Amino acid sequence: MATASSFTALPTEILEAIFLHLDPRALIAVSQTSKHNNKITIESPVIWRHFCRTRFRFWDSHHDIAAKFSGPLSNVDWRRLFALRIGIEKKTLRLLNKVLESQQGRIRYINEIADFGDDARETLLDQYKCPDDTEDVLARRYYTNAILERIRREKAIHLWKDLASGADISMEKALGAYDLFARSGEDVDLDIISADLDRLAQELLQQHAGFADCSTRRKAEMLGWFLQERGFQGASDLEYSALRNSFIGLVLRSPDHQSLPLVSVAIYCAVARRVGVDARPCGFLFHVYCLVYAPKNYLVDGEYKPTSSTELDFIYIDPFHASTEVNPADLKTKLRESGVPGIDHEAFLSDTNTREMVLRTARNIMNSVQSIRQREAGIYNRGPHHGWLDAYPDMDNAFYATLWAMLILGPSEDTLGTLSSVHTRRRQYLPYILEHFQTHFPWDVTLLEQHVTPLFRNQPEGQRLLEFVQSMHNLDGMRKPVSARNTPPAQKVRYKVGQLFKHKRYHYEGVITGWDTSCDAGEEWIQHMGVDRLRGGRNQSFYHVMVCDKSVRYVAEENITPAIGRSAEPSEAMLRLAGRHFKRWDAESYVFVSNIRDEYPED
Amino acid sequence: MASSSTNEPAKQIILLTTSDNADMRVEREVAERSILIKNLLEDLGGESGEAIPIPNVNEAVMKKVLEWCEQHRKDPPASQDDDSDSRKKSTDIDEWDQKFMQVDQEMLFEIILAANYLDIKALLDVGCKTVANMIKGKSPDEIRKTFNIQNDFTPEEEDQIRRENEWAEDR
Repeated sequence: MATASSFTALPTEILEAIFLHLDPRALIAVSQTSKHNNKITIESPVIWRHFCRTRFRFWDSHHDIAAKFSGPLSNVDWRRLFALRIGIEKKTLRLLNKVLESQQGRIRYINEIADFGDDARETLLDQYKCPDDTEDVLARRYYTNAILERIRREKAIHLWKDLASGADISMEKALGAYDLFARSGEDVDLDIISADLDRLAQELLQQHAGFADCSTRRKAEMLGWFLQERGFQGASDLEYSALRNSFIGLVLRSPDHQSLPLVSVAIYCAVARRVGVDARPCGFLFHVYCLVYAPKNYLVDGEYKPTSSTELDFIYIDPFHASTEVNPADLKTKLRESGVPGIDHEAFLSDTNTREMVLRTARNIMNSVQSIRQREAGIYNRGPHHGWLDAYPDMDNAFYATLWAMLILGPSEDTLGTLSSVHTRRRQYLPYILEHFQTHFPWDVTLLEQHVTPLFRNQPEGQRLLEFVQSMHNLDGMRKPVSARNTPPAQKVRYKVGQLFKHKRYHYEGVITGWDTSCDAGEEWIQHMGVDRLRGGRNQSFYHVMVCDKSVRYVAEENITPAIGRSAEPSEAMLRLAGRHFKRWDAESYVFVSNIRDEYPED
Repeated sequence: MASSSTNEPAKQIILLTTSDNADMRVEREVAERSILIKNLLEDLGGESGEAIPIPNVNEAVMKKVLEWCEQHRKDPPASQDDDSDSRKKSTDIDEWDQKFMQVDQEMLFEIILAANYLDIKALLDVGCKTVANMIKGKSPDEIRKTFNIQNDFTPEEEDQIRRENEWAEDR
């Protein structure tokens, strides 16, 4: 017995137990030692499944990984799957470096990474957390975040498209798509929203052992109390229009759980469904209530009452106001007082669908964004400001989400009478979406191509969109024309790309991202802006600049006050935006280090 | 084995017979770290006083195993988590165990085999981790040397296997 005790004599099950403690690299080294070791390492599904499970946190939904993990071990080629994911990891890094290296092909490479979906998520998150002294820290963080956002948006768009085509999408997911659009961070995912709701349902059942045996009315009441006790509450008047109140995932995670009525109802309904209660939203006038239905053949008080009618007994609940029960007569009175004709009452009093809830949320978000903008216009009337930095979720992303929701889920051929009116409605959103997309997310061109262009098929816009998309791709594939400084007029250009400055007249903070030797804007703009009234007129150097409020502008040299010296630190907002064109802030020379040398090689 | 405390129940001593016919006296609580012995004792009704044969483990190894059991007698029982890959494996080993495992390779493998046979999951784990740590960071050739593994690949086969595993190499 004793003489048999060597590595090679160990039984396979023990070798496997040892190998489970190795990392993939060490395992592969073992596999190269001998034929026997090769066989038992390569062919062990247990080990490769273990690697799949421990190495990756996120999987793209097409893998259906949860089902794979819980299914029979031999159904999956785990080693191949593992190798595939490692391959994606490497490709993602390679493509990311291309994105960061040059402007040429950037949109293409971003989209190639985005095509990996959640398989690329982990690598991107890791890269986002790169150390502060990384050579291209600002660019790396900017673009990894941009790609992560792009991946989340695509997920949300697919979800809404499925909903539009009649798929059974749960309300929390359909509303969670707004979270995907507008929030960033590791804990933004539909699975997390579902898990949060699952947990609430579980806790409710644990707390009330006899829940299942109660009457519908009693269940509705208990659920209301439970949510209230967990801190879920309607938003206060003061904060009613706060953007965050419209995001179900954020409300579930926020410490105060404040929300708009619609989200209160969505959470109530989602938990209700998990504990076997039929609760549906009711889109009332300026408010959303909840309809809680008794099971067939029962009344809400639990009484058995067989009936051949398909109508169910129900009550109204107001989850926004401590989940109190609402008297239907009061609702009717309110409708009458508001002047709603009797014939329309039913529409306000019956249950509504998920699609309507998503559209209603779009309107709520638009209102919030508008009120933030108005408030800002009041406070910061001196000019551009970086108020966007304090707004969470991101205002522009949120607004962009509503445009997509309206386009995808807005009135379709079958809900709105005629085809032409559908196109008229859709056409309204198009300029906004295009503007937003060009300013903030040019890499969404593939999303535009896939999901917007088809909506305008056979319309004049359709053709123009196609051409627009094509020209964006072409532009992306081309080398940027070089602006060299070796010509006499270029030698006169005083400031370089990367210069932080204050606008002499409007005092906003900006950074130079490009220059022209003289004003290169159209005659109309020159007239409109009164360029010729400037001291230097139109023949002085002009600069393309990025401003702390996310806008891009065109500024005459005489209006640039360069930020110099130690007080010249860029604001947090500027640091976040700068990554689009710059590698990092150079604290010694007080400039941003250019990442667009392909265009301005000497700056 | 007189205990100074009267409240403590008398420690039950059991007898084990190893593969080389050595009789070993050991406290029941210590021996019961082995699920195999625990089950045997329960099957025997406990009080028989008969020696329990352990035909797969010799005295030297058994001594080592019992030394570990003594040290870990108060550890909480291993969780019933049989799905060995549901938790993240780690090769961290506590200090006492590390010292304990500083034995020659033959003894190390003997301990692992004994832990497996006697069904002492935690000890088996420590043993496997120790071996895993001896593998980590080594090239195939170094691993062969460490464990005296015969390279039975032809150069062509070796080449092919290297190519097959290129995906796992550094970016």
